[in-house]
Amino acid sequence: MKLNIDGLLVYFPYDYIYPEQYSYMLELKRTLDAKGHGVLEMPSGTGKTISLLSLIVAYQRAFPLEVTKLIYCSRTVPEIEKVVEELRKLMEFYAKETEEVNNFLALALSSRKNLCIHPEEFDAVGRQVPLPAGVYNLDDLKDLGRRKGWCPYYLARYSILHANIVVYSYHYLLDPKIADLVSKELAKKSVVVFDEAHNIGKDLQRLWLSGMSEPFLAFPEGLKKDFKMSKRLEKLLFSTDNVCIDSMSVNITRRTLDRCQNNVDTLQNTIQRIKETDAAKLREEYRRLVEGLKEANVARETDVYLANPVLPDEILKEAVPGSIRTAEHFVGFLRRFLEYLKSRLRVQHVVQESAPQFLKDIFDKVCIDRKPLRFCAERLQSLLRTLEITDISDFSAVTLISNFATLVSTYSQGFTIIIEPFEDRTPTIANPVLHFSCMDPSIAIKPVFQRFQSVIITSGTLSPVDIYPRILDFRPVTMASFTMTLARTCLCPLIVGRGNDQVALSSKFETREDFAVIRNYGNLLLEMSAVVPDGIVAFFTSYVYMENIVASWYEQGILENIQRNKLIFIETQDAAETSMALEKYQEACENGRGAILLSVARGKVSEGIDFVHHFGRAVIMFGVPYVYTQSRILKARLEYLRDQFQIRENDFLTFDAMRHAAQCVGRAIRGKTDYGLMIFADKRYARADKRGKLPRWIQEHINDGSLNLTVDEAVQLSKHFLRQMAQPFSQVDQLGLSLLTLEQLESPEMLKKIAQIAHQT
Amino acid sequence: MHFVSFTMASLSEEVLLVVKKVRQKKQDGTLYLMAERIAWGPEGKDRFTVSHSYSDIRCQKISPDGKAKVQLQLVLHTGESTTFHFANESTSRKDWEAAKELLQQLLPKFKKKANKELEEKNKMLQEDPVLFQLYKDLVVSQVISAEEFWANRLGGINNGESAACENKQEVGISGAFLADIRPQTDGCNGLRYNLTADIIESIFRTYPAVKQKYKENVPHNLTEKEFWTRFFQSHYFHRDRISTGTQDIFSECARQDEKGLKSLVTQGVKNPMVDLLSLEDKTLDEGYGISSALPSTSHASRTVKESSNFAIIKRFNHHSAMVLAAGSRKRDVPADQASETSSTDGNSRDSDFFQPPLKKVKLQEAIEYEDLQQENRPKTVALNLKKSDRYAHGPVPLQSQQYTTSQDIINSVNYIKHEMSNYKPNLTQVLSSAAASSAIAALSPGGVLMQQVAQQAINQMVPTEIQAELKHLYVAAGELLRHFWTCFPVNTAFLEEKVTKMKSNLERFQITKLRPFQEKIQRQYLSTNLTGHLECMLQAAYSKFHIWQTRRMMRKT
Repeated sequence: MKLNIDGLLVYFPYDYIYPEQYSYMLELKRTLDAKGHGVLEMPSGTGKTISLLSLIVAYQRAFPLEVTKLIYCSRTVPEIEKVVEELRKLMEFYAKETEEVNNFLALALSSRKNLCIHPEEFDAVGRQVPLPAGVYNLDDLKDLGRRKGWCPYYLARYSILHANIVVYSYHYLLDPKIADLVSKELAKKSVVVFDEAHNIGKDLQRLWLSGMSEPFLAFPEGLKKDFKMSKRLEKLLFSTDNVCIDSMSVNITRRTLDRCQNNVDTLQNTIQRIKETDAAKLREEYRRLVEGLKEANVARETDVYLANPVLPDEILKEAVPGSIRTAEHFVGFLRRFLEYLKSRLRVQHVVQESAPQFLKDIFDKVCIDRKPLRFCAERLQSLLRTLEITDISDFSAVTLISNFATLVSTYSQGFTIIIEPFEDRTPTIANPVLHFSCMDPSIAIKPVFQRFQSVIITSGTLSPVDIYPRILDFRPVTMASFTMTLARTCLCPLIVGRGNDQVALSSKFETREDFAVIRNYGNLLLEMSAVVPDGIVAFFTSYVYMENIVASWYEQGILENIQRNKLIFIETQDAAETSMALEKYQEACENGRGAILLSVARGKVSEGIDFVHHFGRAVIMFGVPYVYTQSRILKARLEYLRDQFQIRENDFLTFDAMRHAAQCVGRAIRGKTDYGLMIFADKRYARADKRGKLPRWIQEHINDGSLNLTVDEAVQLSKHFLRQMAQPFSQVDQLGLSLLTLEQLESPEMLKKIAQIAHQT
Repeated sequence: MHFVSFTMASLSEEVLLVVKKVRQKKQDGTLYLMAERIAWGPEGKDRFTVSHSYSDIRCQKISPDGKAKVQLQLVLHTGESTTFHFANESTSRKDWEAAKELLQQLLPKFKKKANKELEEKNKMLQEDPVLFQLYKDLVVSQVISAEEFWANRLGGINNGESAACENKQEVGISGAFLADIRPQTDGCNGLRYNLTADIIESIFRTYPAVKQKYKENVPHNLTEKEFWTRFFQSHYFHRDRISTGTQDIFSECARQDEKGLKSLVTQGVKNPMVDLLSLEDKTLDEGYGISSALPSTSHASRTVKESSNFAIIKRFNHHSAMVLAAGSRKRDVPADQASETSSTDGNSRDSDFFQPPLKKVKLQEAIEYEDLQQENRPKTVALNLKKSDRYAHGPVPLQSQQYTTSQDIINSVNYIKHEMSNYKPNLTQVLSSAAASSAIAALSPGGVLMQQVAQQAINQMVPTEIQAELKHLYVAAGELLRHFWTCFPVNTAFLEEKVTKMKSNLERFQITKLRPFQEKIQRQYLSTNLTGHLECMLQAAYSKFHIWQTRRMMRKT
């Protein structure tokens, strides 16, 4: 249908429209008109993506000079492909309606791993060939590449510069390393959309870690282990994720330092050799360094490129300081720095300090100034280039250290240093680690907000919406939250606070090991497995907690009884194994046997997998998924949030926990024809401060009667609900309520109603 | 040996036991116990005079131990009974013992089948009143024997049944079959496990490795009981506990399972939407070619408790996968075929090429908003009938009361004129004049096709009870005739016998059923024409029979 959105003609490729989609488009239009940033929350399954695409494409057509490009950032590969398919649908609709050839070029970009067609050969033919207009998904690019003998990856990378719409993952914009390579030259007049943006903090934290390594450098094995370590720590301690970005950490262990030592030795030897054979080369480098980084500065000032946050403005204006200008001096400098770090790792107790403290200490102890530290990363790059070292990956340890040096001396705020002599779990084994953690996600995203005209952050679960602008440090022109209009109450949130024996159910620390609670949780799952058809997904607060509960259910024979009703699949820490379990789970749901998936909030499943229709008729959230608060890094981050944004620690933790809970239970409802139970099995959900932090579209359906149910009561309500939902539900039932025809949409009273859908904040 | 000669009808039959010197009706003879029946033939004759299928036998009765006469009586379902007297002085008791034992083993196997058959017959009769009437008409009045009556039909049942067996949905395995083996303490520090055949079957189907072990070890190395005892004691069964000994024969099973699970995992998933590995667009390794292996959970650092928990989780995943696989294993073949046919649309089975279509489908599914679209089905227009009877009766010939305007008439006349003037006979394809004239004759008034059939319905002429009776007669005759005609072409001795029997059955039917009916009609002064068609059918059968018989005679002479 053709819509009139505030004076803009929008082609919408469906015959009907949800009222909230209309409302969403209105808000979006306003944001684009104002050339500002926006935060928009709308439940998943309400056609957010197609609304976004329809409006922005219409806008681009109407004002081709105002908005030249849409950069659509999503999170996962399937997500990216879905967006492109929706776009294709839209473009087909345009072609049909307008009957003119449109010259839109839209494409997806993914990593080489996903786009490569000749894994062995390097194939860069066709890098500069303009792509004809059309919509290209990853597979289309591969097809084309295969036919023409071009490398799809480079073709796509080249084509995004002149494409009208680019769909890719966050990394390409937020990871300084890749953004520098890929997105640097994207036009300023672009609209950037971050979909599923509730994960943005998390991604930033991941990206930062990788952003630490310079272009063309990979982590060597040892460091990768460190990286993995930190990931595992994250998993074990925080049960992953994302208290925004607390662990954008560099972890430096003794092993890192040893490798670094080797690197430095190699460097020295190489310099020695070159000095004997080709001293002119080193002199040339010296000259260049005196010239400084003027070029980069010019480029930045003329605003051709997206800024690289690893390269702070100050150092662009200066030349490399004399103390590290010659190669030998620099190597000596590195040695000193290294020795200092080694000495710091010889601690017996936990040390936490800020960047300025660290700088002061290093000045006092080994007389290293702040200034040369800041140039460390650039200087190393230059040296490696001069020495013409081919296998750069060997030098990643020293690269990491020099990056650390640059960052710690550049940002006096937003980072913290924690040195732990041992792991918390194994206090007897000395394993000192230096965590250098980023506290401030806005550092990475800042260039994006600064450069691009409009940045839209959108997701199904952003509540409360106002926290994002504060954390990410930007000023949006619109902030709105939309609810899902429903013709029937297709979601049924229940808060189960008691067992049948009146034992209070909670996952809080004190009652974690309580058998009565575990048994009651088991009973809840058992009873539900008998009542709910097809698939049930259950989420636990952490992996360790799930393991323990599963073990004690097994001992108590509860799992055996559940098996009488459904098959049981359990998420493990191994992604491949979990994928298999997931597929089997879906298979069991498909063939009618029914299955239960036990999973972990903040785990991979909770973040990337939808359980539409019969794949998830009920979601049970066992406990409140608080992040593990004993971690020092998390504590540091909470402190930072408190000091910087006046966000109280408890508020933040609750906000985070409820967002994850909502995220988990929201996995079951993906659309208005879908239905599902949402069972919150913890009495703490009944409290107003917790409940109030759930997204509005869930909150609305929690009535006072379902706040503190026993297991039996919940089962009764579920039965009733499921029976009602199983009745046939057709389009006609929705029409006029949650689904509109064009005529209905244009009626004045409906327009008035729609105006109320957007929940302005 | 001489009995081989008279196993003519049973070349393929396995003789399980031969007992000589068994008397039946005071006649000496030999008793044979075969795979499916028991038979007795008199001494010196090469024919069985008694032969009972096991399924016909209701029970065996035996003479008390101390009695001088060692006898065995078989009671059939029909109520008849046959008594065998074991007359060999020296070994009579032993023979009797052996026969009894064997029968004891055999009868239950067939009993089920027999009962099932009986049940089936009963059910059929109850469900189908026509058949029941037929049964009454033919069997109860002894036109044909019950066996003959069912021979054909049960064949249908059996065939149907076996076909159903083929198509029958494979019964899946309960996910909780291991839970059903509830161990019970037996009071003296032991555990009792109750195993049923079903559970064993489930175990075998779910864990082929155990079946393999069973085949290898039972009964050569272990008795069945020992095998299962070891199974329950094994580390394999209690996967969460830590292994106690390496002697465990099931440790290999565990390894195999592990391997199976690994291969399942490495196979990866077909549905790209659930593939967690390729979910993330990792760019960390971009351009460097370093595959980012996921952090494997290190087993070394796990505590005992953790690793047992881990084992439980693994086990549940594996168990569920195996149960699911066992349920669908049988269906693999057709599923494969299906995918084969689906892959003919230009996609080779090459994994790389094969994936996109599935992916495309899944993607399309994922972006579908079914309620936003017009329903996809082609719109059906509701039939608006002004006169529904006209719809029911089809087109009716144009009646003269329909008016045509004079203009229409003139036009059509002109049209016909025009047609006629342009008419060119297609002479190569005309009918022969004889055929044409006979066709004309048939279509002229009074001709064969234009006979004014007295459209007086039979239901107005004949009282209802006669009608009902006639119906029964038709059904019965039809049944008999069906039996008769199925004998043709007569190419076996059995069919020869049957056709002769059927002929006599038909004659008997004509005499005992049809004649009285005719007489009855005559008595009521109704048109005897009612049975004309029946007679006709019977006559046709007779003449067929005669032709066949004369031919046979000719061939014989």
